[in-house]
Amino acid sequence: MNVVYNAAVYIVFILSTYFVVLISLVMFVYKDRLHEKKKPLTHYPTVSVIVPAFNEEHKIAETIVSLQQVVYPKIEFIVVNDGSSDGTSTVVRKAIEHDVRFSFIDRKENKGKAASLNEGISHAKGEFVACMDADSVVEPDIFSKALPYFDEANVGAVTVSVELKNPKTILQKIIDIEYIIGLSLFLKLFSIYNCVFVTPGPFSIYRRNMLHEIGCFDPKNITEDHEIAYRIHKHGYAIANCHHAKVYTITPDTFKGIYVQRRRWYSGAIQTLLQHRDIIFNKKLGVFGYFAPFNYVLVGSGLLLFYASTYLTISRLLETLWHYHYTNYNFFDHLFDFHFDILAISRIYLVGFFAFLFTLFIMVAGLKMTGKHFSEKKVGLLGFPYMFFLYQLFWSGAIFAVLRGKNVKWR
Amino acid sequence: MNIKKAIFIFALLITLFLFSTIILIGDYFSGKREARINQMGSDMYNNLNEMQTFMLMSEIYGDAMACLAFKSKLQKLDKSVWDLGMKIDQYRVAGEEFQKDPFYLQEKKTFNENEVFYLMLLSKIKKHCNYNQAIVSFFYKNSEDCKKCDDQSFVLTDIKKAAEKEVSIFSFDTDLNLTTITLMTEYYAIDAYPCIVIGTQKYCGMQDKRFILDKLCQTSNLTFCGNH
Repeated sequence: MNVVYNAAVYIVFILSTYFVVLISLVMFVYKDRLHEKKKPLTHYPTVSVIVPAFNEEHKIAETIVSLQQVVYPKIEFIVVNDGSSDGTSTVVRKAIEHDVRFSFIDRKENKGKAASLNEGISHAKGEFVACMDADSVVEPDIFSKALPYFDEANVGAVTVSVELKNPKTILQKIIDIEYIIGLSLFLKLFSIYNCVFVTPGPFSIYRRNMLHEIGCFDPKNITEDHEIAYRIHKHGYAIANCHHAKVYTITPDTFKGIYVQRRRWYSGAIQTLLQHRDIIFNKKLGVFGYFAPFNYVLVGSGLLLFYASTYLTISRLLETLWHYHYTNYNFFDHLFDFHFDILAISRIYLVGFFAFLFTLFIMVAGLKMTGKHFSEKKVGLLGFPYMFFLYQLFWSGAIFAVLRGKNVKWR
Repeated sequence: MNIKKAIFIFALLITLFLFSTIILIGDYFSGKREARINQMGSDMYNNLNEMQTFMLMSEIYGDAMACLAFKSKLQKLDKSVWDLGMKIDQYRVAGEEFQKDPFYLQEKKTFNENEVFYLMLLSKIKKHCNYNQAIVSFFYKNSEDCKKCDDQSFVLTDIKKAAEKEVSIFSFDTDLNLTTITLMTEYYAIDAYPCIVIGTQKYCGMQDKRFILDKLCQTSNLTFCGNH
């Protein structure tokens, strides 16, 4: 098992080092593009914003208020109630009653998020369609910032920075850092190489023509925002990122809630990869065709490392406990006998030290990109390195769910 | 080649450079570890030679003077032997990743040979100088053939830590096939592992701490005997 563990350490180290070095080089070479701001709009195309909602009576009012504050001349809002069993319908009707820009599709039957989005798209009149989660809020100038990124004809979708709204628990603060890194920094970097793999559900904008061309969202896929990104690439479109436009979303506040959410995301990601396996090493898709397999090899070797290290840790713990049984559980006599010897440091510890430095570097880059300060995010920053362990649990749950053929729903 | 593609190649080269750096740092540490073991082994060997000289001198100048010299040297030597054994194990774990390192196998052999040498000297000195030093000889095999040997090693380490100055513990790896160790296993008729010898009495099979302390106290007058 030691050999498996050591091999996994080196594989994960080489792959993650390559990834970190690559994004560092991209940040350095394309530093101007990281903070680029497009020219302001000279004309204002019509935009339709679709908000699917399922049992969102406590959150959707705030979402509607944030949309009402959006500053954009040609805009319509379509709220689609996906057969909610709570008071969502009443809350929506009350919130939009004096605003003619809003229309409301109050469906009694629950068909899922993708079906709700598709229904909204079929009613949309805008040249561009923004899809937004009913538990998220946007900044008033989001369209004037993001729409200029459609300046190139091949841009089919534009993503924005996704940040967490009022993280309170330690877990939420850690996930806040994860969002800053994954859904702000990485989305921007990936957009430079046109390998953005998701158009985040909290808020993304699409060309309506393109949506019709690719067949809108896939109602059978539980991560429709991930799956559509694959089809956007396959149809030859690019996904851009406007990192200085922001949407604020929420995340569950319990471990169980996070686990259920991530299991859905990751099992959806596996489902999507299997559905679109023709993208793997597909040269026509450029970097995107190599990004997915690279990512999944990294995930797989991370899982191998996690299980090998968990096995070794538990077996050594049990072995030590068993040893103590022969000394009448004499735990405390030699508790402080440890003598540090620098020569006893193996290569594996050096690898761990480098990996820690890389994590630190990514966190600092994420903070710099989003203009945050260490002092306001210190709890999340201290906890973020432990996400490695949580990712393995989430991925294990997702793989298990896929293998069991479990039907993971979007809510 | 355009810059977008060149970045991928350049990133690969930097990654290989970083990986090579870690390998080289690891090799540097490995060299330092081997040098440290060699130095400790050499010190142990010199000390043993000095003890042997004392032994010869005692025959000419009498036991009284030699015993004083032995006493001053004994505790230092006993500690250095124990520390060397621990370091060989610790450094072997730090250095071995995918295959066994022949350096540590060789060092283990040399160490075991010197341990036998030290055991013989100590037994003789104990008799000559009437030392109140308990001696435990521990015979073991690798953990695949002897599941309990690691357990026994842990218990003896715990005892050594508790009574460092009064108990000398010798660990003999019978898998090394050293003639001296084979002779001892035959002398004590050791047929099961782990096996410990306290004084002249052998106790094969796993023995817990209480049992070993009891037996030590029966054979030697040690300070902890009234407490345990």
